[in-house]
Amino acid sequence: MQEAARLPGHTPRFPAPSLRHSDRSSPVRSLSFIITLAIGAAVGLSLTWLATVSGYGFGTVRAGPWRAWPKSGTAEADPYARAALARSGELPLQLADGIAFVARLDDSGRALDGRCNIRLSGLLPQARFWTLTLTDSQGRLIDNAAGRYGFASTEVVWSGDGTLDVALGPRAQAGNWLPTGGRDRLVLTLRLYDAPVGLATRSSDAPEMPSLVTERCP
Amino acid sequence: MRAGGDANPLMRLALPIAAGLVLGGIVHLVSVLMMPYMAERDAFARLSAIAGTNMVAHVDDPSPFGAVLPNSDPAFVTAVCLYDLAAGPLKVRLPTTPDYTSVSFYTRLGLAFYAINDRAAGRRVIELDLMTARQKAALPDDEDVTAADRLVIESPSTTGIVLLRAMVRERGTREEVRRTIEAATCGTAS
Repeated sequence: MQEAARLPGHTPRFPAPSLRHSDRSSPVRSLSFIITLAIGAAVGLSLTWLATVSGYGFGTVRAGPWRAWPKSGTAEADPYARAALARSGELPLQLADGIAFVARLDDSGRALDGRCNIRLSGLLPQARFWTLTLTDSQGRLIDNAAGRYGFASTEVVWSGDGTLDVALGPRAQAGNWLPTGGRDRLVLTLRLYDAPVGLATRSSDAPEMPSLVTERCP
Repeated sequence: MRAGGDANPLMRLALPIAAGLVLGGIVHLVSVLMMPYMAERDAFARLSAIAGTNMVAHVDDPSPFGAVLPNSDPAFVTAVCLYDLAAGPLKVRLPTTPDYTSVSFYTRLGLAFYAINDRAAGRRVIELDLMTARQKAALPDDEDVTAADRLVIESPSTTGIVLLRAMVRERGTREEVRRTIEAATCGTAS
């Protein structure tokens, strides 16, 4: 820290005896030391928090507002994925089982707000089964009288043309209604089970995912 | 205070700030690498609260008031077997349902290392032998370990997690699926 205390660009006018020099600069030195430690801890821990709060490492697959981290469900998961999973306490969906796509925003980049009517519609990627789950930002299911927390491919009502149409909103609607409980900052998770391997490996050619549109807000 | 410092206090701060940023990078990397070892509420800890070792325990369905594991799929019935291979290999057995049924293996630190579903297994009952690399190497040579009816899974760690899961086709069938999962076994091979 001898170097740290010395001023950049400052040239001593005379060579001071080393003991005397260090005596004089010790308050400055300890202040520099404290500043270094404080910046190091703050920057380092904030970076770690940011890196593990909303994703699971590298290799993100993007499709519209949907995100997936196929690598996190394999033995090749990178240290960021491992850290994020350990912190949240969840076990990832294994890539051999399938792939999970998460959406926190609608198509226009707006946070999914449960006080609004939101429509999920379109084609889904090929998979043997899929499930759609609605949670709050903490990963908890949304409480509702119907006990409806999501849909599975086996129970959903399909549109005539083979597309899916799910209405999310605080009030009951006809068709596939997913109650939002009027909560803000919702998270949708679409899990595709026994999905084709290509879905996770094509990073340039994003899979066709259903659109998410906020239709009406109070 | 020396004259040079008073003249330019910003310059005086430049070095501690630069050193702080470098230290920040190191703190970041170390904390990311340490997190799986330091996390007190990781998946293994959460499951240890409801399950013993080398036995199948039912995992309560997630509800709006909480879940054993965050972000688990509510469309599935789940059971768990926390394993410890110190005493010997483990035999895992899970009857399948007509819909998606899977056995997924994770290390003690939550690293996903193997999963197989009903279709990949191609049989009514998924049967697996779980063992460490050393135990696998110690298997007698005359035993045909590559036989189709015997799937040997090598665990990279001595302890870990086996998730046994089956999808519920519609709400009415949840109890039926639960009974199937309850028939699963996980114990030391005799």
